[in-house]
Amino acid sequence: MPDSTFLDSTELVLNMGPQHPSTHGVLRVILKLDGEKVLGTECVIGYLHRGVEKIAENRTYAQFNPYVDRMDYVAAISNGLGYCLAVEKMLNVEAPPRAQAIRVILTELNRIASHLLWLGTHALDIGAITPVFYCLREREEALKIFEKYCGARLTTHAFRIGGLLYETYDGFEQDIRDFCAMFVPHVDEYEELLTNNRIWIGRLKDVGILNADECKEFGVTGPVLRAAGVKWDLRKAQPYSGYEKYDFEIPTRQNGDTYDRYIVRMQEMRQSVRIMQQAVEAIPEGPIMGKVGKVIKPPVGEAYVSIEAPKGELGYYVVSDGSTQPYRVRVRPPCFVNLQALDRMIRGGLVADVVAVIGTLDIVLGEIDR
Amino acid sequence: MADEQKPGGSEAAPPPGGEAAKEPGKTAVEAPKPAPPKPALPPPKPPAIMVATPWESELARELKESFGEGIGETSTYLGQNFIVAKPGSAIPILEYLKLESDFDYLVDITAVDWPKRADRFDVVYILYSFSRNERVRVKIHIPDGYQPETAVGVHLTADWLEREVMPDEWQGYPLRKDHGILQQDERWVQENLGIESGQ
Amino acid sequence: MRGLLNKIFLVDLFQGLWVTFRNQHPKYIYTERYPEERPKVAERYRGAPRLNINPDNGETLCISCNLCALACPETLIVVTSERNEVTKRKDLTTFTYDTSRCMFCGLCEDACPVDALELTQDFEMATYTREGQIWDRQMLEEGPKPTQYKC
Repeated sequence: MPDSTFLDSTELVLNMGPQHPSTHGVLRVILKLDGEKVLGTECVIGYLHRGVEKIAENRTYAQFNPYVDRMDYVAAISNGLGYCLAVEKMLNVEAPPRAQAIRVILTELNRIASHLLWLGTHALDIGAITPVFYCLREREEALKIFEKYCGARLTTHAFRIGGLLYETYDGFEQDIRDFCAMFVPHVDEYEELLTNNRIWIGRLKDVGILNADECKEFGVTGPVLRAAGVKWDLRKAQPYSGYEKYDFEIPTRQNGDTYDRYIVRMQEMRQSVRIMQQAVEAIPEGPIMGKVGKVIKPPVGEAYVSIEAPKGELGYYVVSDGSTQPYRVRVRPPCFVNLQALDRMIRGGLVADVVAVIGTLDIVLGEIDR
Repeated sequence: MADEQKPGGSEAAPPPGGEAAKEPGKTAVEAPKPAPPKPALPPPKPPAIMVATPWESELARELKESFGEGIGETSTYLGQNFIVAKPGSAIPILEYLKLESDFDYLVDITAVDWPKRADRFDVVYILYSFSRNERVRVKIHIPDGYQPETAVGVHLTADWLEREVMPDEWQGYPLRKDHGILQQDERWVQENLGIESGQ
Repeated sequence: MRGLLNKIFLVDLFQGLWVTFRNQHPKYIYTERYPEERPKVAERYRGAPRLNINPDNGETLCISCNLCALACPETLIVVTSERNEVTKRKDLTTFTYDTSRCMFCGLCEDACPVDALELTQDFEMATYTREGQIWDRQMLEEGPKPTQYKC
């Protein structure tokens, strides 16, 4: 005779992470489950905390530049661009046109690299093992260009305040053209693998819905917001670094589910290629460094500058007290804010959906914990 | 909405980490602390100040009319507008901006520590409006120990942004200016991590 | 109708399989046979630091100006020097570089006014001890000597 409690169904608290491979780093999610159904979640973050904002207050402006690469380490160039733009804003200088064009090319290439890593790991989480190999293969080509340009593949430290340190190498333009020509057929290939695949659709359609109002409420930005139908991209809304010169679309979808976010990111990669193709044909001649002294000393004041990073709005709020070190640097990380919506997206869903939703948020824990 | 008080998924505060307070609804820096006896500071001399110019616009006028005393200053610096408000009126201003002026996206909440000032902390709310494509910052100056109201009732996203993501028992506030960069809660590290020091 | 047929004949799945089949082609093989075949890193690669010596007379190029130490965000470079009474210049005595803390940002090499300190293309810097990561002047001038594997 079994114990009477044997057939009881109680709520189960399940710990997912911090070493779970599908949490993309050291995210710990505490799930409250009723059978397979998710009743609620709690995120435990901070395992990768390094105190970047405190470090900033103890470094000079130029010295802090390599640290920002280490926040969102799969999109280091975007981080660097945001920080450089913020300090340039405070110094009231602008990078020369040539530097801006090169910055745009590298940032878009980085967006592709970031989205490729997202696609590979997201598909791997869902159970599609093949795409990750192809994605990393193409990402390798992008990283090779970074390595040739600035000497590092991941934490690039590619930009300097006021412009660029490195001139392009011989054959840079050709490398970018080759990459663009090579890459578009590969995106078609990923789409052939996934877009119409019945398992893929079954796992992603109507999972983790976040509609436009909820997105705004939670401050969610980036592809997640665009998949909910809000046509908003900082590159168009408040162009920086010469993005207004390029012709590109903001891909949007209406349902705001995981499948739509997948489609939006795939489209974004195609648009990035478009921007790169336009930019590489029109790199102006001229200097690559603006009028910035050797010692960077912005006047007393503050500025908030944000860019469209691959994950969403990445902002830097910099306060200067007139010395060579920033008085305060606050980073507005897109992943941190986007992760907040996780609970809303999976409450009521199934355990298997948790993996899909974490994947679709495209989080990088280095940026969440800073 | 129903669960405004306990917004999604964050009943348990996310522990160690980056920015803000220990409980929801308590902004980063001013979490209560055994207030150290404050030496009477001489009035700080303002050597160089931010050269901000007054912000003249419809919105600034509207706000001044609606809040009167609650708004200290509406200025613009480097083309970025900000409002300095009385601590108590920050949340009503956020609400007004959200409902009347379409500033429906709270980008960020942060704080700056100015140890020499009487009202030691700046709490900064950065807002954005999708329809106007405009940003505005709302700043309040608060003394040590003051607990401003939470903004979660207006913007759900404030929930995580307001938290200090540190272990609950941790002593000290690492982002304050008087906290050295190598300083840490040795006792916590020894008890919880089993190592002599994190350095 | 067409959708139904696609569903019955598993068109979407075969489409995906065809992609994987195409990618079987040997030209898509990307394996690097690392210790035997050493990868070619880019010319600007920022790897192991090196303190350059003047090839003509074997003396160090470093003028002990300490700019690299000041530029380093991690303050991991320590330069000591003593004043040479004959030439009235500073002579380098020791140069310590803690590679365990280095993040290879390249700020030291940018700061160097005489191109003495340089981040080279060497990338094999593993040692068995933490102390081995702290490089002295001799190590910096000679560079790391990784084991060469023959294939």
